[in-house]
Amino acid sequence: MSTAGSRKVVDSRGSFCPGPITDLFKAYRASNVGDEIELWATDPAARADVQAWADKSGNQVMEAAQDGDHLKIVVRIAKKGR
Amino acid sequence: MPQRLVVVGGGTGGTLTANILGAKLRDRVRSGDAEVTLIGDGFRHSFQPANLDIAFKGSRPDSHDRDETSLLRKEVSFIPDPAAKIDLANRVVTTTSGGPHEYDYLVIATGAEAAPETIPGLKEGSLNFHTGPQNAARIWEAVRDFKKGRIGVLVGGVPHKCPPSPDEALFMLDEYFRRRGIRGDVELSLVTPYPRPYPAAKIADVVEPLFQEKGIKTVPFFNLESVDPGAKKAFSLEGDEFGYDLLIAVPPHRGAKVIRDLGFGDEEGWIPTDRGNMRVKGFDDAYAIGDATDIPVSKSGVVAHLESKVAALNVLADIDGSATENEYNGRINCPMEVGSRRAIFVSATYKDPPSDQAPSMVKYAMKRGFGMIYWSALSGSWEWMMDAYFGPTSEPSTKAAGQSKA
Repeated sequence: MSTAGSRKVVDSRGSFCPGPITDLFKAYRASNVGDEIELWATDPAARADVQAWADKSGNQVMEAAQDGDHLKIVVRIAKKGR
Repeated sequence: MPQRLVVVGGGTGGTLTANILGAKLRDRVRSGDAEVTLIGDGFRHSFQPANLDIAFKGSRPDSHDRDETSLLRKEVSFIPDPAAKIDLANRVVTTTSGGPHEYDYLVIATGAEAAPETIPGLKEGSLNFHTGPQNAARIWEAVRDFKKGRIGVLVGGVPHKCPPSPDEALFMLDEYFRRRGIRGDVELSLVTPYPRPYPAAKIADVVEPLFQEKGIKTVPFFNLESVDPGAKKAFSLEGDEFGYDLLIAVPPHRGAKVIRDLGFGDEEGWIPTDRGNMRVKGFDDAYAIGDATDIPVSKSGVVAHLESKVAALNVLADIDGSATENEYNGRINCPMEVGSRRAIFVSATYKDPPSDQAPSMVKYAMKRGFGMIYWSALSGSWEWMMDAYFGPTSEPSTKAAGQSKA
């Protein structure tokens, strides 16, 4: 299976929990293994929620850092489905 | 030529918008200078929050709806014929069996549609209370006959109508089975994509101890992929499975077919909408409100109600060439019953997230009270009370250049 995928930017700036993780889940549903999702959020709770989901689901948080006015979280889809 | 105002969608938002416009333009409608037209799917208007009472308390499914014509002011012309096409560029709405309806200003209130058929096996393997009162009644039949086993209330997609409803369903099930004296034989679980038993963390802080106290389990991070009705198992994108004896699902939601067909919504058919003035993005003569929009607030009747007023006042400002307009502040106010005749309200604005709170009988009474005035509130005659209760839900602002065609 190829692991080279595309990156999709998901802009959740300005929305509170659960906005960012809701947007992440929508992007996850449309993604393939190997893709990356770059989530932009201004709600600081997004970092812990995304990390907890990634830990549980076997996906990887590649980056989580402040980037100007927002938090930038990059998730690599390593696992999806049975 | 009269000003032609067309509202599409005969739910909470569309009905209230049409009535506010009719009331504010009463004299102009009578003199022939304005027309207010509501295009709805049919004559029946359901009070959707009652689906919980139908599904989990055995309320009669035919006792929570009214004839739409009885809810409308006489200034409003009602067309009970579903919109088949909305042509924003040429300002025309075409109905399924009628002719074109040209407009000067349009308000789209086409709502959200629960679509269990979009997940393999979900329609066959689950029951739900989001696709109408008759389907909610099927849950009551199943719950009434249930004696022992595992019941899952599964959130099959986000966003969906009435965010508190899955938790409320579980609180109601807990109370029902305790009353029957078989609670110990019934395992109750919330199966959710979120990390906690309510999407917003502060509300989850209220729900979590109540779930623990009542023995309701939470299965987190479960984004539904498929259901195997034969094996009675649900599977997640994360690779987990949930076995059940009775599955009650919140189906994935999407925008109305007339919006999806047009392709001007996003991939799920939510209309790109300015979260302040409620205009459809890119148009100065079309507004969208309620569940139909892509605004990241709860899809609920209260939101539709509050946005209706903003859109109606902005249409009136447009007609009168006003330099100011109203900006919705994102106020939500979703009640959630938590058992023992107690409730909380999930309240927030764009600026202020929900805060934690203690459940109370007063809030339960308020929730039931709002339900009792629902029908008369659609006339617009309770706006004074809504204003007193909610405080400001919109703010005046100066209209951006080029936003008025008056």
